[in-house]
Amino acid sequence: MKKIISHIALTFTLLVTFSCDNGFDELNSSKTAATSLNPALILNNAIIGSSPNAGQLNYELAIVQQLISPNTGVLEGANFNKNNSSSSIANWRDYYRNVIRYTNDVIVQTADDPARSNLMNKARIIQAHAFMVISDTYGSIPYDDAGKGYTGQNFFPDYESQEVVYHDIIAELTSASAALDESLPSENDVLYNGNIAKWKKFGYSLLLRAGMRLSKVEPGLAQSTVATAFAGGVILANDDNAVIRHDANYVNNVGNVLNGTEAANFYLAAPFVDALKANDDPRLAAIAVRYVGANSGPAQVAAVATFDPNAQYGLPMGSTDGDADNYGAALPGGGTRYAFTQLDRNRMAKRTSPLFLVTASQTNLLLAEARFRNWIGAGTVDGYFAEGIRRHMDQMALFDPASAVNAADRDQYVASRMAVLAGNELEQINYEYWIASFLNGQEAWANFRRSGYPVLVANPFPGRDVDWITRLTYPPTEILVNGANVQAAIAEQGPDELDTKVWWDQ
Amino acid sequence: MNPNPVNMRNRYSLFLFGMLASLIACHQAIAEDRIGANPHSVFQQQRVTGRVTDESGSPFPGVNIVVKGTSSGTVTSADGTYSIDVPSSSSTLVFSFVGYSMQELSVDGRTAIDVSLQPDVTSLSEIVVTALGIEKSSKSLGYATTKVDGKELAVNRTPNMMNALQGKIAGVNISSMATGPGGTSKVRIRGQSSMSGQNNPLIVVNGVPIDNTNFGTNQGNLGSDNSIASRGAGASTDGGDGLTSFNPDDIESMTVLKGATAAALYGSRAKDGVIMITTKSKGSTTGIGISYNLNYTTERVLDFTDYQYVYGQGEYGGGPAAPGAAPNPTSGQWSFGRKIEPGMSQVLFNNVVVPYVAQKGILNKFYRTGQNLTNSVAISSGGEKGGMNFSVSNLESKGITPNNEFTRNTINMGFSYDLSQKLSFRGNVNYSNEYNKNPPVVADQDNSIPTSLFAMANTMPLEVLDANKYNPGGGEYLYSRFTNRTNPYWVLEEVKQNIRRDRLFGNFSLKYDLTDWLSIQGRAGQDYWSRDADYINLPTGKASISSGSIFSATPGYYNGLFTQESRRFRETNYDFLVTAAKTFDDIGVNVNIGGNQMRRRMDVHSTQVTDFTVLGLYTVQNGRAKDPLYDLIERGVNSLYAMTEVNYKEMFYLNGTFRQDWFSTLSKNARTIFYPSVSASYVFSESFSARPDWLSFGTFRAAYAKVGSDSDVSPYSNQLYYGVNGQQFLGQAVGNFGLAVPNANLRPMSVQETELGIELKMFHERVNLDVAVYRKLTTDQIVSATISDASGFTTTQINSGKSKNEGIELMLNIIPVSSDQFKWDFTFTGAYNKTKVLSLLTDTPGSNITVGQHVFNGFVQQIVGEEMGQIVGYGYRRDDGSVNPAHKGMIVYAPSGLPIRTTNLISFGSALPKWTGGFMNSFTYKGINASFLIDFKLGGKVLSGTNFNAYRHGLHKATLVGREGGTLDGSGNDPGRVVGVGVTEESAVNTYAARAQDFYSVVRGSQIVEPIIYNAGYWKLRQISVGYDFTKFIPESVPVKGLRLSFVANNVLMLKKWVPNIDPESFSYSSDNIVGLESPSVPTTRSIGFNLNVKF
Repeated sequence: MKKIISHIALTFTLLVTFSCDNGFDELNSSKTAATSLNPALILNNAIIGSSPNAGQLNYELAIVQQLISPNTGVLEGANFNKNNSSSSIANWRDYYRNVIRYTNDVIVQTADDPARSNLMNKARIIQAHAFMVISDTYGSIPYDDAGKGYTGQNFFPDYESQEVVYHDIIAELTSASAALDESLPSENDVLYNGNIAKWKKFGYSLLLRAGMRLSKVEPGLAQSTVATAFAGGVILANDDNAVIRHDANYVNNVGNVLNGTEAANFYLAAPFVDALKANDDPRLAAIAVRYVGANSGPAQVAAVATFDPNAQYGLPMGSTDGDADNYGAALPGGGTRYAFTQLDRNRMAKRTSPLFLVTASQTNLLLAEARFRNWIGAGTVDGYFAEGIRRHMDQMALFDPASAVNAADRDQYVASRMAVLAGNELEQINYEYWIASFLNGQEAWANFRRSGYPVLVANPFPGRDVDWITRLTYPPTEILVNGANVQAAIAEQGPDELDTKVWWDQ
Repeated sequence: MNPNPVNMRNRYSLFLFGMLASLIACHQAIAEDRIGANPHSVFQQQRVTGRVTDESGSPFPGVNIVVKGTSSGTVTSADGTYSIDVPSSSSTLVFSFVGYSMQELSVDGRTAIDVSLQPDVTSLSEIVVTALGIEKSSKSLGYATTKVDGKELAVNRTPNMMNALQGKIAGVNISSMATGPGGTSKVRIRGQSSMSGQNNPLIVVNGVPIDNTNFGTNQGNLGSDNSIASRGAGASTDGGDGLTSFNPDDIESMTVLKGATAAALYGSRAKDGVIMITTKSKGSTTGIGISYNLNYTTERVLDFTDYQYVYGQGEYGGGPAAPGAAPNPTSGQWSFGRKIEPGMSQVLFNNVVVPYVAQKGILNKFYRTGQNLTNSVAISSGGEKGGMNFSVSNLESKGITPNNEFTRNTINMGFSYDLSQKLSFRGNVNYSNEYNKNPPVVADQDNSIPTSLFAMANTMPLEVLDANKYNPGGGEYLYSRFTNRTNPYWVLEEVKQNIRRDRLFGNFSLKYDLTDWLSIQGRAGQDYWSRDADYINLPTGKASISSGSIFSATPGYYNGLFTQESRRFRETNYDFLVTAAKTFDDIGVNVNIGGNQMRRRMDVHSTQVTDFTVLGLYTVQNGRAKDPLYDLIERGVNSLYAMTEVNYKEMFYLNGTFRQDWFSTLSKNARTIFYPSVSASYVFSESFSARPDWLSFGTFRAAYAKVGSDSDVSPYSNQLYYGVNGQQFLGQAVGNFGLAVPNANLRPMSVQETELGIELKMFHERVNLDVAVYRKLTTDQIVSATISDASGFTTTQINSGKSKNEGIELMLNIIPVSSDQFKWDFTFTGAYNKTKVLSLLTDTPGSNITVGQHVFNGFVQQIVGEEMGQIVGYGYRRDDGSVNPAHKGMIVYAPSGLPIRTTNLISFGSALPKWTGGFMNSFTYKGINASFLIDFKLGGKVLSGTNFNAYRHGLHKATLVGREGGTLDGSGNDPGRVVGVGVTEESAVNTYAARAQDFYSVVRGSQIVEPIIYNAGYWKLRQISVGYDFTKFIPESVPVKGLRLSFVANNVLMLKKWVPNIDPESFSYSSDNIVGLESPSVPTTRSIGFNLNVKF
């Protein structure tokens, strides 16, 4: 008996004296996840995350008057020039979370490994692209301290002005593009399968874009940047395009929405359709479909589909459902709002269609403008202009074979545009850039703001918040959690409104 | 008799030590041991017989009689007689019965002893089960406890048994979720202590904790939360919780330990109180007893909608009633159409022409009468050495949603047996098999019948909707441009979910009395369940995927999304307890020392597939694209604890507890926490030399405790883990890591609670009062803080939160009338609780974190300086009076005619109720028992999603304003225009007009939630029951010992509420992170039925 008591006492003493957490480190180690991972795989995720998001349906594509919804509610945005934070946060949320978070990890992991400098420089380019999109959308943004929630334990990063951001993006792209080295090992990636030459062209093409962005605000820097980029070698062929491919698992964000819930709720905007129609643009047939007489979503069936460019009617800007129903009744073949021309979700906007970040067409058109401004010496304005149009015409087949534009139609269109180029260079070049950036709404909107082309009429919706949307507002959660920093940025940049202009747009 | 006592004892001691050795995983040497020889006793048997009577002289059956100092004893029979053999003529007999003074009588050679037992006023304090299963007299406790008799749960019952206790326990806030019969019960004791989503009390069965994992619906919950969500969209159903498995008939009693002091011995997991459940383990009388219980209730929908039926289906004043209007209207969910006039018709679907008339009462048309049928049989036996209880039950519940059924079969086995005079063995094993078929999808846009029904256009006939659920292509026939608002009849046919759970839990304990004052107990418990679920998140052909086409975007396949998963869970608890109790003259000392080792392990294997080869076959094999997932989570807590009680003359009690926990989820340097508690009680009614006649019993209580917890820390959250995506892309692997920043420096959070109380029994127990006041300070809260997206991450867990709960609990029982014929018993229970956030990342008032979000807008925030659970959103911008003081506070309108929202999010008040409680009246008249309960919750706010839709879709009566007399537009429609009452931005009187539909859609478009914030309070007639005991009519010859029939009704009548169109209780979210955010849920029901109990 006494022995029992003494054993209990002994047990208790042992429990207290010795560690009572034996095996806890092991217990608290995950058996289903790793504590480290090849950063090349992380870069793949950042590349996938760079694909333009579906927020452009509510904002960018509608701001540039290419694609709109007549719906109120969740789809509100630039269709009515109103603030709808659930859509306007998309670039912020998606690029910080899905790109910057990963690129930061890749850069930190590879920083001290010279053998992996190519991997690091790819990450810097992908990161610069993301920062450009975020800053073009919102202006001043967290930059230096961004993405460092884990590596820097910085949960509430402060903001940099767009001027600082762009100066650094230009420095980054210059340095990263130059540092990419074909003689060093290159790891596979889902953008260019490890082809360093193509990555270099991508880096310099982004640099060209960044330089041109500053044409209004800092022409000097713009010129020198463009010259550096051009000298480095940019994307001139569709084979070199920076394109995010999609499959059934990694879907096209726009295609996913247009083949899902909102299939019947988005229509090509009248200014876009009218412009293409007026110029006999063969791309209209490649992009558009109209379900003649449709009065509901399910009535949009193949039997009533027409691809005839002359039978396409875009939805007037600012139309509500009710307006659109009324206008729809007046269309040939009648119907309601469902009878307007749509982006063809079975061709160009499939769930598996690719989305482009930088294309040969865009680069050629930027070079046309650079040549026009005499910022580069080689080539001709005409040459770059024609090449820019041709490359986009050819690019249509890359969205879907059924959207292919034949060479004869292409060349006829090019000839007709060349005829009106002289004397209207900036307008014509940037009009083509507008079409060439269709479904890359972020770029279309940025270039529209920079160049002022094409000439569009302000959204006539009577209840609009602003006449023109020149930036999007900061996300409500950011204002909630990072209030002091965001307020400091607002104080410097101007009110957090849709019509405040970003730095390069002054 | 044991032929070889020494060897047997050896085995017992080895077993005990085996258990000890396995505890805590600490090393210790196991030594063999033997117990000293037992002194032999000399038997000189003698028989004593007699009769026991009560204070009125009536025969007293069931009185316990034991021979003092032995374990031999008996109980009196139905006529009060007994017969017992005593070892010697000098033995002493002890007569006892709960609530009566114990009597000890020496045999003194007598062979017949008659005894009269008197009620014991000092033992008025009941015996309650406290932490670790230790039974104590409530007067010795320095803290408040509430004991609930099993009958409270069994007679007027609910499928989740906790819901039957709504309004009955002071300080315990129970919310039944409006999610179907297999749903969770949200229980909060003394408010919400931590800022995390789950502040569930610990559930302890027969002394050992069990799992209470919550499979509730929790969309929009941004914070950390131990609940488990379904994978993929479109399947937000309530899969129940740990209490769903219980058959209420098996419950002997329940004790609610409300405060930290009471719970201190359970440590970390008990920070939100403990519900101690004791299951039946022996019969109430000697011999074998059989009881049969039948409970049957029906449920009917309570329809609180009060919509407008002046204007019907359509938008902007137009719609299907228009002459020549297009067939197949896609307004479907909008009621901004034309004014309903006699003789109008509407064209629906494919040229179906039906009258354009208001469709009222659609909830009752759509939902069926629910039914709950429980059959349970229990066999029990009792005797001198112990007893057993074995029960089998079956619950068949048909939910009001026509395809929803919940079945629960349980087997419960409990026993206690004294193996020898010193060694006793107890155990209980509970098995349950649950099948929840098609739990309704709630609080979602997709597949949610309630969301579609509550916003259905008010002229849409359900028959037409039912007849046209499929389009010619076999997909869902689109009836609204709001394609996510699935046709409810199509959902019934196509959206399927099966949840099956097998669960086995129980524990065994061995107790050995080393001496008459020292005992040791070892106990092993386990809760194991496996749960299989399959659900069709997106059925093939759903309208929101490819407009109701059944074909996939990938040619050759049918669209859709299907998930299948299985989970296994195991929690084991091993504990030991050494108990020493000794009395030295007037001083009583009681010491307990123990330790516990807890381990939990849960894994899940889940596969989600899209694109089907065979139409209508939902299997993972049939899906083309497969997304597999396996996850495993383990955690452990080791604990040591001690408790001492010292009493003086059983009048002053002083209790102290100490506990040290080690948590596996925390980093080595912050892994352990020590916490003490101290409490005292003073039975002051015993201290009077001459106790006043009116005072039967009185106690003062005081307590202080500190409890720590890691419960908001997920395992593996102290470092960054990388994973690889389930799908490769272009033949390459894709890596990932989580959106939460790991924090290796988390410390256990800590709760400190002070409590004072008084209990009085007065005027011969006609007036009884129990009051407790408490203050609970929760510090170092582990908060999942939302961080800037620009950091790349969305949240991180930090020790930052500090909050304070203060409250008072009151139980007042009055018996105004008590005669032989009639007794009226009145009980009021009420509680006031206020929880204030003291600090978050800083102490600056106004600092906040967002913990949850409504489907569209509206947030729940914790704000420093405010009550916990603030509902936050945009309000109307109001004139500041700077231009015209008379306009101060008026709503500001833009030139569009629409109200402008506030610049910043504003807070509308806390969602947590401050006042909860109920009034119970029970009457006894000539064998008839009748009772009714009125309960209330007051002082909280609700953001009503149902009213959000009613505004947006033109169903809310407030949306009638402005629809008359508009201007015809181009198509001859009259959208009606509203000129908002208020001012312009220049502070002029507003004259801008907006179309009515635009005007009322600002709740969505501009996210102005102000019009849909309501007072969430209510008063309800919760329960009625009327019972009669028919036993006296049963002839002796019939072998039935008792028969009792009760009629019961639950959720009988809404007496007062403030929110229109819904029952303020119709919440479907169980998480505190989204508290107060209402989204359309399964309508609440009134249940009516009966309970029949027969004893053989």
